[in-house]
Amino acid sequence: MRPGDYVAIAFRNIRRQKLRSALTVFAVVIGATSVTIMLAAVFSLKGFMTKQFEANGTFQQVAVSPQTDITWDDHNNGSGNCQTCVHLTDDLATKIGALQHVVGVARQTQVGQFQALQYGTQKLRTQQIVAYDANGVIKDTLLAGRDIQAGDGDGVLTISSDYADKLGFKHNYSALVGKQVQLIAQGWYSGVGVDAIQQFKAQMAWSSTHPGEDGRDYQPAPVTLSGKIVGITDATDQGYVIRVPLGWARGMQESQMVQVTQADQDAAQAKCRNQHTPGNCNSQPVPSQVVVTDELAKQGYSSFIVKTDEASNAAGVAKTIRNTYKVGAADAQTQIKQQLGIFNILGAVLGGIGGIALVVAAVGVVNTMIMSILERTREIGVMRAVGARRGTVSALFTFEAALLGFFGGVIGLLIGYGAVLIANPIINKQLSGNNISGSNIITLPIWLILGVVALTTGIGILAGLYPARRAAHLDPVEALHYE
Amino acid sequence: MAAAIELKNVTKTYRLGDEVLNALDEVNCTINSGEFVAITGPSGSGKSTLANIIGGLDKPTSGSVAIDGTDLSHVRDRQLSDYRNKHIGFVFQSFNLQGTQTALENVMLPLVFSRMKPKARKARAQECLEAVGLGDRLKHKPSQLSGGQRQRVAIARALAVQPGIILADEPTGNLDSARGEEIMKLLKDLNKQGITLIIITHDMSIARQAGRVIQIKDGKLVRG
Repeated sequence: MRPGDYVAIAFRNIRRQKLRSALTVFAVVIGATSVTIMLAAVFSLKGFMTKQFEANGTFQQVAVSPQTDITWDDHNNGSGNCQTCVHLTDDLATKIGALQHVVGVARQTQVGQFQALQYGTQKLRTQQIVAYDANGVIKDTLLAGRDIQAGDGDGVLTISSDYADKLGFKHNYSALVGKQVQLIAQGWYSGVGVDAIQQFKAQMAWSSTHPGEDGRDYQPAPVTLSGKIVGITDATDQGYVIRVPLGWARGMQESQMVQVTQADQDAAQAKCRNQHTPGNCNSQPVPSQVVVTDELAKQGYSSFIVKTDEASNAAGVAKTIRNTYKVGAADAQTQIKQQLGIFNILGAVLGGIGGIALVVAAVGVVNTMIMSILERTREIGVMRAVGARRGTVSALFTFEAALLGFFGGVIGLLIGYGAVLIANPIINKQLSGNNISGSNIITLPIWLILGVVALTTGIGILAGLYPARRAAHLDPVEALHYE
Repeated sequence: MAAAIELKNVTKTYRLGDEVLNALDEVNCTINSGEFVAITGPSGSGKSTLANIIGGLDKPTSGSVAIDGTDLSHVRDRQLSDYRNKHIGFVFQSFNLQGTQTALENVMLPLVFSRMKPKARKARAQECLEAVGLGDRLKHKPSQLSGGQRQRVAIARALAVQPGIILADEPTGNLDSARGEEIMKLLKDLNKQGITLIIITHDMSIARQAGRVIQIKDGKLVRG
């Protein structure tokens, strides 16, 4: 038999029992539609999320923290004080930077010494001032201006769009670039920008006018640092964030201690002598020296973000860091894979439901084919008498069953495609409502299209095998006399 | 004349529970090419079994069947099917036409299995229908044709592959005597053109028209 004859005969037979064929195909359609929609949704979402992570290089990164029980999600939450932990020092950063597969280390710290960001007369409470090496390991998404760069000194900062929105620049971020803002420090701030000796003198003066009061009640005038906004970053997954250069952050975290030198004491005594009231001199020595402590170097960074050469090496580098330096190290992949694993389970469950529908459909195909063969027994006898081989009869019925499966798959795909067309605009709305970039994220990948059609056709073939075999092995003599 | 069909010690046994039934018992017979043979016998005598074995629809339990020198008793389904397709034209008592298809399509069926090209197939089928006097009924379905016409379509179908043998099982059994006569005339004409004609019948008036009568009883040849 020629290939065209198989097609022609199978089509003719399917057409002959229109209603029965339609109902059988309908069952396949239900299965194919559910498999299509469910798999498309699950894999598209998984792919979308994976792409989001891949886009910012997260998969190549390892987060290092003083706490050894760190997971990837913790790395942005700061370290807190941990006296027994291994400190993340510059020395450690250098060592990690020299490890195999490591291409860069970004030291990260959070500055908690500030209470507000002031622009003009507007004051916004600060939540986080972060600083990290501007070496490209951690990438920011800029909405306007530029990012913090390696050469930036003090007085330069970027703010996230949430701040910009609050300052009234929602649709005009670039207008905010270049503007001066003030960072208002907490009362006990002793970092860069503070004249410790002046502060000491002011406190002494306050004490002399407030006799008997506790010196700790003294409220120094709040220190403000001035900075220029150079860029607005995307707040989507960070919220209210101010970023400053690492050097400036180091200064902000410094502690200054005034120190009384021998010369200062001598000067105070000389002052007493000049007052001619020996033994009753209450002139305090005025310190002239300030000891500056680099607290960041002393306490260590809150975390390191380590960039590896390949995403596949991230887990290995994390392990090496953990084992060698006894610090916490976690790669995003391991955790994200676990999180994305839920999609695999979801896919399996939903696909399984579609699979059950397809099994039911397959039973329908078997039933239809057996009915069809019973009805066509005589016809099969005639076909055999005029020279149809067993294999030909078998192929004919198998092809017919495959065709039922094929049609079911194609119609199911079309319905599934329609569902995707309806779902995507709804999802787009959701995404843009949540400031997430991405549109039409549910796609029907070619493998899914081919896979669904192949699956339903394959199910048709499988379902057709037994009936076809039965047809092929009919005794032609009996078949010719079948009533 | 060359031997078209040669049966040697052909036995066909059916098992019905514990009972063993010899439908054919050591049958020896030769049918020459171009002969017109009638196989007769009472029902249950084994004449249909004999016809089925000659037609390649059935295989003997023992013994050999040779058609044009080729032994059919041990070949596989594939060769047997091809043999039926190329050498045998079947005509049945109840016509066995496909009700949903036209006369032309019915006649084309054997040609489908011989892989003839669709155009040639159509031309050949038309030729055969014209030969049986149905050149004006090509697009008719069996339900639109009379009994005699239906059997003509069946004969045209048997002729389609230009077989050497036409095997007709009670071809006039479902027809009135006038239509039966017409069909017999048609078959005899084909025989005159050189086709070996084997008719299975219990109608002696038909058997008498044959060149030779093979009579069978209880699975054995009583005359032949």
